[in-house]
Amino acid sequence: MRRILYGPVFSVLFTLVILAAVVTPLRAHAVLMDSKPGRNSTVKGPDIPIWLRFNVRVDGRRSRLQLIAPDGSTIPVEAPRQTAPDILESHIGGLKPGAYRLQWHALASDGHMSSGEVDFTVN
Amino acid sequence: MLKLVDIFGYLSVLLSAGTLVGQSLLLGGALFIFWVARPGPELPAGSLEAVRSGSWRLFRAAAIGLAIVQVLYLYVNSAVLMASAEIGFREAMGANFFLAGSLILVAALVASVLRFQGRYAAGFAAVLVLVVLGASVMTDHAASRVEGRIPLIILTALHEASTGFWIGGLPFLLLGLHVGNERTAQWYLTRRFSRLALVSVVVLVASGFGMSLSYVGSLRSLVGTSYGLMLMAKVAMLLAMLALGGINFLMLRRYGPEKVIPRLRRLVEAEVGIGITIVLSAASMTAQPPAVDLPNDTVQLSHIAARFKPEWPRLRSPNAAELSTRYPGRPISKLDPTRQTVAYSSEGMPLSIRVMNDMKWSEYNHHWMGLIVLAMGFLALLARTGRAGWAEYWPLLMIGIAVFIFLRGDPECWPLGPKSFWATWAAPEIFQHRAAALVCVAFAIFELRVRRSPSQEGVLPLIFPLLCAVGAALLLTHSHAISNVREETMAELSHTPMATVGVVAGWSRWLELRLPREDRSLPAWIWPVCFVLIGAGLLNYREL
Repeated sequence: MRRILYGPVFSVLFTLVILAAVVTPLRAHAVLMDSKPGRNSTVKGPDIPIWLRFNVRVDGRRSRLQLIAPDGSTIPVEAPRQTAPDILESHIGGLKPGAYRLQWHALASDGHMSSGEVDFTVN
Repeated sequence: MLKLVDIFGYLSVLLSAGTLVGQSLLLGGALFIFWVARPGPELPAGSLEAVRSGSWRLFRAAAIGLAIVQVLYLYVNSAVLMASAEIGFREAMGANFFLAGSLILVAALVASVLRFQGRYAAGFAAVLVLVVLGASVMTDHAASRVEGRIPLIILTALHEASTGFWIGGLPFLLLGLHVGNERTAQWYLTRRFSRLALVSVVVLVASGFGMSLSYVGSLRSLVGTSYGLMLMAKVAMLLAMLALGGINFLMLRRYGPEKVIPRLRRLVEAEVGIGITIVLSAASMTAQPPAVDLPNDTVQLSHIAARFKPEWPRLRSPNAAELSTRYPGRPISKLDPTRQTVAYSSEGMPLSIRVMNDMKWSEYNHHWMGLIVLAMGFLALLARTGRAGWAEYWPLLMIGIAVFIFLRGDPECWPLGPKSFWATWAAPEIFQHRAAALVCVAFAIFELRVRRSPSQEGVLPLIFPLLCAVGAALLLTHSHAISNVREETMAELSHTPMATVGVVAGWSRWLELRLPREDRSLPAWIWPVCFVLIGAGLLNYREL
């Protein structure tokens, strides 16, 4: 025991101890910088184009959008397209007036998955 | 499913930290073996054999560790992606991180099994570690930037490479000094490593500065975001490492091997510890958006000044029944006036009477803890003067901390709340608090025995500095579960400096115990001063 602690093997063991003990904060990595519809905005329905701009490049093929309707049901949104590496675009049609929540899950190019929401109202 | 994604997301960051440590060891190990520990004409034949074979063993162990980490990383990250984006495994395999992780896995596996012999051994090892480095950079901030991507990728590669060569090489140097018993060989290794470290530090600082300009951009972002604060903590720890490295550098050039080597080994131990903490902070930073991307979530300097303006500590607490904690059987109605928003914090967080009471409760806890830690620091300083033997009993104050945690940590439990003492052990958070209280008691008794013992040699005294350093690393990277990003930054503004000082406290006490007796004077003063600073920091902790 004494030899192990006093010896250089200790440094490797200590690495493992810290790694096992450390609690690292996990925050959203891809940050939504701008969107259409905007946060808490009111838009004219029933057809709504969706445009999301992030702070980083995102992987459109591995990102997902969905809409929560005023009654709480989930409306599928067609797979996002990319006109630029940091942009996700899509389209939703046939929306009735009410408060909606757009949920996004985006895979940043550096491998971090992030999620977020945009609340908006259709009139 | 969301909970699973959260847990796996957290694991994914932990595994990124493992990747950074593993890659640093491979980079540092390869350069150490092929350059630092390369036999020279001034050495007797075979004098580095033990060092080289020991280094190879450590290199292979690091490669195996890295491979295991990568398997877990690929599994965890794929699971998060498949659950979040609702895609299949085949689709997940095409993701950038999967390609990068697979490359690192293959390179690590090859490095762990291959015998690097012959004319091209160094070249082959270089290719493997460069593959690891390149793949790692593919999953860093730089790879995902929209503007300035190529310069940032180059800077990141230089930064990670120099980190590996220096910090990753230190455990190999320590091993070399331990295994290579001949003074000539030890002197040879040390002098060569010193040259390597010097170049690495220059590249590390220059590339880090360049990246900071791009990722932080302004003084306001440096102070007003979690990313900026972690960067400052990293710089502070780097300065501590540079101070130790500077002492090594000067010693090597002024004194001979007999005087230098025993001291240098101990200083390198502390450097390894601080270095690993720096790498962990770096991993924590890769999990956060760069400060420059949070223009709306950066705390104003004026708000920071207002929050941290020194005030008299809060020594009166609200009652437990006035907190927002909802006891079983005693629900607080949503219509209760004490649950209605009556104000907003400077960062826009809605505050009800009960939420404000929670904050006052927390401030009271921090301030009393601050008084206890401050007293511990002053008593330790007094004991250091050698004129007050009774002050050596300062570890007993940790029993005060234990009592405080037990009484105030969980206000819903006995003796303050309605939950019984025995009914609450199963709750993980409560169990953690009680375990921490027990550890404090055990630690107080144990450290007191160490202090009262005539000789402070052996293994037991090292437990205190190690726990101090690990605890500080925990505090440095631990998450504050606050939904308001700016309020979270405010909390980190007080915790991050205390954690950084804690790292210094732990490793200065380590050096006090490990250095030759005649050199212990300076570190023996540093850690009690750190305790005083931490106590003062706790006393000025504010949530309101």
